[in-house]
Amino acid sequence: MKILEIKDVHKIYNSSEVQVHAINGVTLDFEKGEFAAIVGPSGSGKTTLMNMIGGLDSPTRGTITVDHTNLADLKSSRLIDFRMWNIGFVFQSYNLIPVLTAKENVEFIMNLQKWDKKDRDHRTFELLKAVGLKERAHSRPAKLSGGQQQRVAVARALASKPKFVLADEPTASLDTKSSENLLDIMEELNREEGITFIFSTHDQRVVKKARRVITLEDGKVISDERKKKNGSSS
Amino acid sequence: MIEKNITLAWRNLWRNRRRTLITAASVFFAVLFAVVMRSLQLGSYDTMFRNAIESYSGYIQIQQEDYWENKTVNNTFPYVSSLRKKIISDENVVETVPRFESFALASSGPQTKGVMVMGINPEKERYLSKVPDKLVKYRLTPEAVKQIKAELDIPEKVRELLDLVENTSYPSADRLQLDLDISDDEAEELMPVIRKYARFDNGNIRMGEPGAWVGDGLSRYLELDIGDSIVLIGQGYHASTAAGKYEIKGIVKMPLPDIDNKIVYLPLDICQNLYNAGSNLTSVALHVDDNDEKAIANTVNRMKQMIPDRLRVLDWKEMNEVLVSQIEADNKSGMIMIGILYLVIAFGVFGTVLMMTAERRREFGVLVAIGMQKRKLASIITSEMLFMGLLGILAGCVVAIPIILYGMEHPIVFKGEFARIFEDYGFEPIMTFQGIDTYFLWQVVIVAIMVIIALGHPLNRIFSLKVVNALRA
Amino acid sequence: MIWKTAWKNVWRNKVRSLVVMISVTIGIFGGVFAVAIMNGAIEQRVDSALNNEISHIHINDPGFRDNYDIQLTIPGLEQIRGQLEETAQVEAVSPRIIISGMANTASRSAGVQILGIEPDLEKKVLNLHEKTIPGTGDFFETESRHNLAYIGEDLAKELNIIRYIIDEETLGKLRESDIPEQTLNKLSPYVGKRFHSEDEFEKEMKESLSRREQNEYGRLIREQAWSFSERSRMTLVFLDKDQMQTGAVFRIAGIYDIKNNMFEMSRVFVRKELLSRLTGLAENQVHQLVVRLNNMDQAKEVSSMLSENFPDLEVLSWKKIQPDLAYTTDLVQKFYSVFMIIILAALAFGIVNTMLMVVLERTKELGMLTAIGMNKKRVFSMIMLESVFLSLVGGVVGMIVSQVLILFTSTHGIRFSQFEEGFEAMGYSSHIYPDIDATFFITVTVLIIITGILSSIYPAVKALKLDPADALRTE
Repeated sequence: MKILEIKDVHKIYNSSEVQVHAINGVTLDFEKGEFAAIVGPSGSGKTTLMNMIGGLDSPTRGTITVDHTNLADLKSSRLIDFRMWNIGFVFQSYNLIPVLTAKENVEFIMNLQKWDKKDRDHRTFELLKAVGLKERAHSRPAKLSGGQQQRVAVARALASKPKFVLADEPTASLDTKSSENLLDIMEELNREEGITFIFSTHDQRVVKKARRVITLEDGKVISDERKKKNGSSS
Repeated sequence: MIEKNITLAWRNLWRNRRRTLITAASVFFAVLFAVVMRSLQLGSYDTMFRNAIESYSGYIQIQQEDYWENKTVNNTFPYVSSLRKKIISDENVVETVPRFESFALASSGPQTKGVMVMGINPEKERYLSKVPDKLVKYRLTPEAVKQIKAELDIPEKVRELLDLVENTSYPSADRLQLDLDISDDEAEELMPVIRKYARFDNGNIRMGEPGAWVGDGLSRYLELDIGDSIVLIGQGYHASTAAGKYEIKGIVKMPLPDIDNKIVYLPLDICQNLYNAGSNLTSVALHVDDNDEKAIANTVNRMKQMIPDRLRVLDWKEMNEVLVSQIEADNKSGMIMIGILYLVIAFGVFGTVLMMTAERRREFGVLVAIGMQKRKLASIITSEMLFMGLLGILAGCVVAIPIILYGMEHPIVFKGEFARIFEDYGFEPIMTFQGIDTYFLWQVVIVAIMVIIALGHPLNRIFSLKVVNALRA
Repeated sequence: MIWKTAWKNVWRNKVRSLVVMISVTIGIFGGVFAVAIMNGAIEQRVDSALNNEISHIHINDPGFRDNYDIQLTIPGLEQIRGQLEETAQVEAVSPRIIISGMANTASRSAGVQILGIEPDLEKKVLNLHEKTIPGTGDFFETESRHNLAYIGEDLAKELNIIRYIIDEETLGKLRESDIPEQTLNKLSPYVGKRFHSEDEFEKEMKESLSRREQNEYGRLIREQAWSFSERSRMTLVFLDKDQMQTGAVFRIAGIYDIKNNMFEMSRVFVRKELLSRLTGLAENQVHQLVVRLNNMDQAKEVSSMLSENFPDLEVLSWKKIQPDLAYTTDLVQKFYSVFMIIILAALAFGIVNTMLMVVLERTKELGMLTAIGMNKKRVFSMIMLESVFLSLVGGVVGMIVSQVLILFTSTHGIRFSQFEEGFEAMGYSSHIYPDIDATFFITVTVLIIITGILSSIYPAVKALKLDPADALRTE
């Protein structure tokens, strides 16, 4: 089942003298349950592509369709709503609202979506358990380590039951152990619950764990490898 | 849902505790200053008006139509009982107070002075200018002061004040106590002795009996005391001469120096006699039940319908135009000063908002990215700002109220040289505080406006936010 | 070096610094201009009082001012005048007789103080003669066989000597001034009518004309309707030296206007020799000597000196004659200093907040500076200087703007016409020329610098508490 279709997408920036072709004709499809990594050197267009997938930016040419909805058809507040219901985000850092506890951060989206208290509480604790932070539920981000914060961010991203989770360099600010931890959790969620993850990264550990690796260079896809279950590439 | 917003807004305020507190403190400072100053200004204006109204004009007067512009004896009117009955039947009129005023030259032998002669009905005046209450009861003559000092062991400051206010007359013991700065506990011990030596025996004037009450300042100038005679010469009805000699039965102390130095009260009929004016009056003042602006305006309108053509109704504002003008000038200048203060604080608040918005740009980006509507974000920021303003306002009011309450019990009384200056300009040397009133609300309104304008910036930022750019911050 | 760095630092965050500076500008401008207005009003008042009302020094019998007893004349007059002539600082002396009495016209009367003066000498101590309203006469210049009195406009109005008359000529003049026919028609019913007082005139105008007409043409109409008849007469009644009532009929020599209601209402000037004759006083009997000095600031010392020379007399400088003049100047200065301090306190909040932000966001930089060897004192000074610069730039701009506005308004003045009645009742003109003493600017500048310094203390202390290693580690 295709949840995300990217068709011949271009992103052109017109600065004063120079035209920058950040994304130069990218076509990709994603199915439910994928665990994919988009890699490439800086300047390859990773972040630009991620932003467009997430509806944070719009392509100059081409279409991006999420679950049969063309993102270009949605205008500002409809778009924001759409993101809330369909896309989960994990940023490199500063994901969480500093004045809310871990629990409150996780239920934040559910509040926006107007879940009722019982269901909300139930799911929050489940998610926190899944990321291994049930005991830190009432701590504020300042009291959590970088890795713990990212885990809460994952729980938060999942809270709304999104179609897929976009993670932009999620391990970039973490030490090895925390990165491992985080990836393990995401992998488990992917395996057990079938949640789709799309990463952008240049962390080799992430790439190793990913089952599909898409390489970008100068705005174009130069390779798209799916790994077989046994770990070798096709 | 709403409580979630409010919780978020409230917690956000305390992220940068110092900044929030300092900004709220600046609002507190402005509100405190503004409230106390307005209380003092408005309270003093009230006293000034009250003095003018109660010493003299009253709230409403009925006069012959030309009298106010041309105050001659010839512009008087006969006061018939049918008119009186009509007036007193009005719902807001408690009593009618008839008066006959004119000008005369008073002499007491060596001294002469132009004086204001007011023919009154002493009983009825109790309702209005309360002249009988203003009879001098205590006078700190040099001899009295000597005797008081001899008998009592007085604290130093009271001793100095005694010297300063020597020769002053008082219509009541309260004012005497206030002027000598005697506290209520000291009063028990000191006041009875002071009152004993400073006691002044006064007398009454009555309708039908010749006799005069003279203002304290005037009595000093003419060097007259109770029992002496005062000679009055003036212009009577239809150019006749008005001349008379009256025994001084009592001395009154009027709060307005202008009046105190010039007033002679005669019984109404005696006065009418003096000026050969029969039963004519120069004015009828009305004692009203409800004296707030609206009630007065309505009463005036009703009077206008009721009275015959050749008569005219005036309200206290018309009768005190100069005072109204002076007070307006002071009022406006006070408001401007407070305005400048608030403007300065407003910029401070704006600066804080500016800094806060810049700092949280990335955070706003994240929130909108994960799905928070901009509207909602805007409402949270608005709540934060309103809380901050509210904090300042509440703190300001909480500190101001006790100050004002204290001030109401202990008005600022001026003495010595400084008091003389007030009196030269015709004001009682006192500044009183106004109780809690609508001016408090005005501060809330001003701060609210300040906050709303300051909100323009962050709200603008939020609604024009490009998430992509914000995330890069 | 620190000065340059501090200055550059101010401009790192332009918007934030500008907000603070603008707030200081507004606060300073508001405060200074308000003081200038008050100051100007008081200066005018003092000037007017000294030049038109009381001059610099009064000399009289010690008991005279208590009751204005006619018998208390100055003993040894010639000798005193001689000595005064010898005194270098004295510019002129004018002798006066002062009698309380009543002024009566056919319809009105008023209690007044009658001043018997010698016009030539009086002109040297007071400039009242320059304030004669054109067309009403002069200060005893013109010869006349009648008794003459010189009075103030407010008294003349009170006695109905000045009237308001609307006649054909008035209408004609108003038409020439482009008053619309429609308005003039409203005025024609009043032709030939006699108004008994200014108040009555005002009342009729209010009733016949619309609000707009009143605002636009009111003043013009009043000016044209204002009329004075040279043949107006007034009777002055008073007691002579034997307590017998006496008096005489006077014509008006001239009418002056000094915008001081209290003064104008209470004084009537007549020739001294006439008043002497009427009261039975001898030629060398006078009640008061009015002295004008070369320099008003010497009043205190000269009056002390004269006091010693004339121990039997009361010698008063203008500050003692009208204490409210000196007091008010003093008082208002104090009041406005307090006001400026309050404004600066309000500004301090914003400055402290800003400097705190500055310190917090430069933690790394400050940590680095301390690490490379900048000592605590230098760090403290740098922050303090930045704060002072912030305040000073805003303050200087504020002072410049207010000075410009003061210069601008000082030529034409500001009319507070709404409050005219109130002002003039206290002796102040409602047409004020703002003025400020240069030293006030110095005071303000010093206060601004102090504010900047005090505001920086808390943030600077915070900056010093930063541990360099800690600061450098922050990501």
